[in-house]
Amino acid sequence: MKSYKILSACGTGVATSTVAANKCKTLLQARGIEKVDVIECKAIEIVGKASIIHPDCIIHTAEIPVNKLGGIKTFRALQFITGIGAEQLADEIADYLKSLDK
Amino acid sequence: MLSENIKEELIFMDLDVQTREEVFHILGGKLTELNYTKESFVPALKEREKVFPTGLDVNGVGVAIPHTDQNHVNATALALAVLKNPVEFHQMASNIEDHQMVPVRFIIMLAVSGANYMDFLQNAILLIQDQEVLKRIVNAKTKEEIMHIVKEKEN
Repeated sequence: MKSYKILSACGTGVATSTVAANKCKTLLQARGIEKVDVIECKAIEIVGKASIIHPDCIIHTAEIPVNKLGGIKTFRALQFITGIGAEQLADEIADYLKSLDK
Repeated sequence: MLSENIKEELIFMDLDVQTREEVFHILGGKLTELNYTKESFVPALKEREKVFPTGLDVNGVGVAIPHTDQNHVNATALALAVLKNPVEFHQMASNIEDHQMVPVRFIIMLAVSGANYMDFLQNAILLIQDQEVLKRIVNAKTKEEIMHIVKEKEN
C-alpha cells in the first residue's frame, strides 16, 4: 500500500497544526488513504523540515514561504480548524495524493 | 473534559473592549494572576499574534484563538470571552500586511502545556466547529449559561 507524508505547520507547532493534522488524517483515511503520516512543525521551521522530510504535501494554518518550498504542494487548512469546508479540502488533498506517481 | 477545566473566573461576558491588546491584557492577565501562565505570556501572545494571527471566520461568526509557546505556560487552561462589540483580528494564515480582518465576537485563549493538552485543545476547537453551539455561546447572557452549553456539548 502506498504511504504518504504530510507536514502540518502552524505558528507554535503544537496547537492548530495538531488539530489540523488529526482532522486531516481522519478525513484522508475515510477516503481510502490509510497510510498517512502527518508531522507537525512550526511555520518558521518549515523550509528546513520540508527539505529533510520531503513531504508529499504541506498543510498550514500559519503563513509560510510557499515559494521557498521547492514546489511542494501546499494547502491552507483553516477548514480543518473551523470545520467549514473540511470535507471539500480533504477531497482536494486526497485527489492530489492519489494523482502522485508513487 | 473541557467543562471540568473551565473556571468561572476565566469567563468574561459582554467584555467591553476596543482593541486586541485589551483582550490579551484582560484574559492573559487573569491567566497569569491565577498562575496558569508566566509573566512572559501576555507579551509573547502579542508578539505571536503579529506574526501568526488567529482570527477565524466561522460562517459569519468571528472567533479568535490566541495562544503561544508552551514555555510561557505553567498549566493548561483556557480563558473565554464574549465581546460586547466585535474587535478586529487578522485572519489566521494570512499575512498581516494584507489586512484580511475578521470582526471577532468570541475569544478562546489557550494556554497549553504538558503531555495531555491535546484532548483539551481538540475539545476547545470542537466548540467552534459546531455552529449551533457557537451561536448559542455568542448569544449567552451569563457565565453559567456558557458552562452549561459546554457541558451539554460534551455529553
